[in-house]
Amino acid sequence: MTDRTEIEAVLEAVLFVSSEPVTRDRLMELFNDRDKPLVAEALETVLERYRPVAGRGISAEEVAGGVRLVTRPELNVYLRKFFEVTGRSRLSLAALETLAIIAYRQPITGPEIQELRGVSSSGVLKTLLERRLVKISGRKKVVGKPFLYRTTREFLMHFGLESLQDLPPLEEFEESFGSIEAEPS
Amino acid sequence: MSSIDDTTGSLPDEWRVELPTFEGPLDLLLHLVKINEVELTDIPVALICDQFHQYLQLMEELDLDIAAEYIYEAALLIHLKSRMLLPRGASTGEEGEEDPRQELVQRLIEHQRMKDAAQTLAEVDVLRQGLWTRRQQRIPGPDPEESIDLGEVSLYDLLGALRQVLVRYEHEHPPPWHILRETFSVRDQFERLMDRMQPEHPLDLLDDLRTRTCRAEAVATFLAILELARLRLVKLHQTENGELLLYRTGREVQPYELEAIQG
Repeated sequence: MTDRTEIEAVLEAVLFVSSEPVTRDRLMELFNDRDKPLVAEALETVLERYRPVAGRGISAEEVAGGVRLVTRPELNVYLRKFFEVTGRSRLSLAALETLAIIAYRQPITGPEIQELRGVSSSGVLKTLLERRLVKISGRKKVVGKPFLYRTTREFLMHFGLESLQDLPPLEEFEESFGSIEAEPS
Repeated sequence: MSSIDDTTGSLPDEWRVELPTFEGPLDLLLHLVKINEVELTDIPVALICDQFHQYLQLMEELDLDIAAEYIYEAALLIHLKSRMLLPRGASTGEEGEEDPRQELVQRLIEHQRMKDAAQTLAEVDVLRQGLWTRRQQRIPGPDPEESIDLGEVSLYDLLGALRQVLVRYEHEHPPPWHILRETFSVRDQFERLMDRMQPEHPLDLLDDLRTRTCRAEAVATFLAILELARLRLVKLHQTENGELLLYRTGREVQPYELEAIQG
């Protein structure tokens, strides 16, 4: 039987060293079967320890089906300064629109994306593939056999989602168009 | 401003000042629906179709390139407009027959939804760009290659791997270095010794020779000392315990003498 505090220490150490989210299953594998109930509790303790609070630079987050340590977003400006990071690679509106369509309607083909956006999307698809936010997952069995696109684990990580179920629900029809009358002409 | 000046066929004046850039024809259609203050579910197709075409004309006047997508959409609108002119339900007499605008409405709703979703993603994107994680580091131990999950490997991973290989190859196979044989000239050594020697201060010859980097330099130094002696610029003196000392004489070296020494 491993000591509870020992388990907490092990979990914290693994999270500290990992650069990718670690799944609960992988953490469980480190211990004996009879320790497993303790591991779940210990993990909660560690997560509680790394809740985002003032005065701490690191917090734990549950993302893409795992747990990882990240810095707090407010500290970005200092980290950028320290590591001498200049410029930023923000996604364009076109890329975000395409990404949203893939995220909510996956798997989806290029022509289908074009139909929804009204404009060609091959350029932004390339950008999204290069940034590994989407991937090709086979071809649709229709004429021309177009590629099917899906979002990746990186997508979940970047947007802080545990799974695709955590995507914010789409705005309802009324919410988007209820304000038409109020629109200044 | 709900209708268009029919006599001139041009857009209302207030349209001319602001020409927002649209992401595509669907954006333009949504814009037209909004400024006409009409219900999306009950689009006056004829009006919107005319305005859409006038917008394209305006783009032409401004010499903007009209993307093919706009032209395609314009054609769809004309088709829709013509269908709206046909009496509906005439063949079946059923009231529930599908509105020909249904498909357009669905596309517009979906487009608006995705625009909203993109807006949400944009906000999250900005916030999450500020998060830093531990950088990928080498975990000590055997090569992790065996544990690669092929399900997550994309074409871009392969390209990335190839690039790494090429970079490493270049790093490990740098272009050949041309090592030049070092040459030591007598004149250089001559000048070096002249600089080193100070009046009234002897120079230990063996000590100087011992600190040369290689045999070739020592030989050049030795020849330089012979030159110095020949030109009576130094006097050589051997002490009882074998040290060879160089004393600088009062004589100055003449330029032509320096020239004559092997370069």
